[in-house]
Amino acid sequence: MSANKSTSPAPSIYLDHGATSWPKPQPVVDAVVRALTELGGNPGRGAYAMALAASRAIYDARRSCAQLLGVPDSRDLLFQPSCTHACNLMLKGILKPGDRVVVGSMEHNAIARPLARLASEDVEVVVVSADRTGFVDPGDIEREVCARPTRAVICQHASNLTGTVQPIEEMAEIAHERGALLLVDGAQGGGHLQVDIGAMNPDAYALSGHKGLLGPQGIGLLYLASGFDVQEQTEGGTGGGSSESLEMPPERPDRYEAGTANTSGIVGLGAAARFLAEEGDLQRKQEAALARRLHEGVLDIGGFRVLGPPPEVPRVPIVSIVHDSVEADRIAFALDRGYRVAVRAGLHCAPWAHETVGTLECGAVRLGIGWGNTTEQVDTVLAALAEIVS
Amino acid sequence: MSQRKLRPYILFGFVTTHDALAAEEVLKKTGIPVSAVPTPSSLAGGLCGIALRIEPVDSDRVRAQLADRGIDVRAEVEMGDF
Ligand SMILES: Cc1ncc(COP(=O)(O)O)c(C=O)c1O
Repeated sequence: MSANKSTSPAPSIYLDHGATSWPKPQPVVDAVVRALTELGGNPGRGAYAMALAASRAIYDARRSCAQLLGVPDSRDLLFQPSCTHACNLMLKGILKPGDRVVVGSMEHNAIARPLARLASEDVEVVVVSADRTGFVDPGDIEREVCARPTRAVICQHASNLTGTVQPIEEMAEIAHERGALLLVDGAQGGGHLQVDIGAMNPDAYALSGHKGLLGPQGIGLLYLASGFDVQEQTEGGTGGGSSESLEMPPERPDRYEAGTANTSGIVGLGAAARFLAEEGDLQRKQEAALARRLHEGVLDIGGFRVLGPPPEVPRVPIVSIVHDSVEADRIAFALDRGYRVAVRAGLHCAPWAHETVGTLECGAVRLGIGWGNTTEQVDTVLAALAEIVS
Repeated sequence: MSQRKLRPYILFGFVTTHDALAAEEVLKKTGIPVSAVPTPSSLAGGLCGIALRIEPVDSDRVRAQLADRGIDVRAEVEMGDF
C-alpha cells in the first residue's frame, strides 16, 4: 500500500475516523476506478450505452444504500454533495419564518450555522442543553415541545466530539405526539451504528458518505419521509425531456438532485454500502471493543479526562481527551511528528458541543476509531500518549 | 420495390431515470424482453431521457407488473419501425 512509501504523507496509525474514514475497503476503491474508467457518460442525460451504464450504477448504489439504512423506498434517499449540504436542505427546505424549533446543544456547525441563518430570518431556535456526557434528555426535549407549538425537533444521532448516542426513536415519538417533525444529523451514525431509518421513523435524516459509511469524500445522503413536501434549494438540469419546463419536477429523487451527479462518489458509496451489509456487524463489534480499550487505557495513564459517557456505555467509537496540563494541540502535534499518529485537536466544528461539555476554551484531542484499526495500534497510541504527558 | 411492413412496438415513458431503471429491473427479473432507448422527442414532455421498449404481446403483463410495484408510468405509445 502507498501508505508505506516514505514519500507518502500517510500516517502509520490513522485515528481521525470522526472526520473521515481512511483507508477505504478495496471494493470501494475498485468501484471508484471503474466509475472513472468505464462509466464516463453523464447519468440520466443520454441513453447511449455508457450513459445508461452510469445511470444504472447510480440506481444500484441508491438501492444498496437504502437497503443498508432501512429506507423502504429508495427514491426517498437523495444523493447530496455532503452531509453539510444535506443538513442545509433539510433545515432550509422545511423551516419557514415564524416556525419554532427545539434543538439539542451537541450539534455540529452543519446544523448550528444554518440554524443561525434561519434564526436571523425569524425562525425561533430553542436550544436544550445536554448533560456533561453529551446526552440530550428526551424529557427536556418533551418539556420544550409541549411548552409551545413546535415545527421540528432537531437532534444528531451521535456526537462527533463525545461519541454520545441519542435515543432517536424516542425523540421521534415525542416529536410526532405533538405534531412536530424530527430532523436528524446522522453524520456520525452511519456505519458506526446499525442505522435503521424505517424503525427510528425520523422525518429527515442526513448522512455523510465518507465517514463510517466508508465511501469517498464529496458525497452525502438525505432521507426524506415519503410524501413529505420539502422545498428544493437548488434548481437546474435534471436531464431528459422535462427540459422545456422551468420548474423542477416534483418527483424524487430528481427534485433534489439538479446538476450532473457525482457518479464516482455515488458508485463508491454504493460499493461501501454493500461491503457494510456484509461486514458491518463484525466491524461495529470491533470498533466498540477498540474504543473501550482506548478509553480505559487513557484513564489508566492518569491526568486525562475522557469526554462523553463512561466506558461501559455504548457510543460511536470516538474517544476525545483533555489533559490536566498538556494542551490539546501539543498532544496532537507530538503524536503526528513523533509517532505518525493522525488525530484531530481543536473544536471539531462543534463549538456548541465543546461549550456543553466545558471544553470550549481548551479544546480536546479526538481519537476516532474506525475500519482498519487494530488492538496493536490502540496499544501503540496509549504508550505514545503516556510518553508525551510524562 | 416490395412494401415492408412496420413492426409495431410499445414505448413506456417515465418521469425519472430512477423509475425507468426500476421498471427495467422488474421486467428483466420477470423475464419480459425489454430494451432501454432514448425517449423520442415526440413524446418527451416532462419525461426522462430513457424509455423502455417492449413487444406489444407483453404490454398487458408489463402494465400489471409495473402497477404492482407502484412504478409511475407516464406515457405509453405504440410506435413502429422496420
Ligand atoms: C455531527 C456532524 N454533522 C455534520 C458533519 C458534516 O459532514 P460533512 O463534512 O461530510 O459535510 C460532520 C462532519 O464533520 C459531523 O461530525
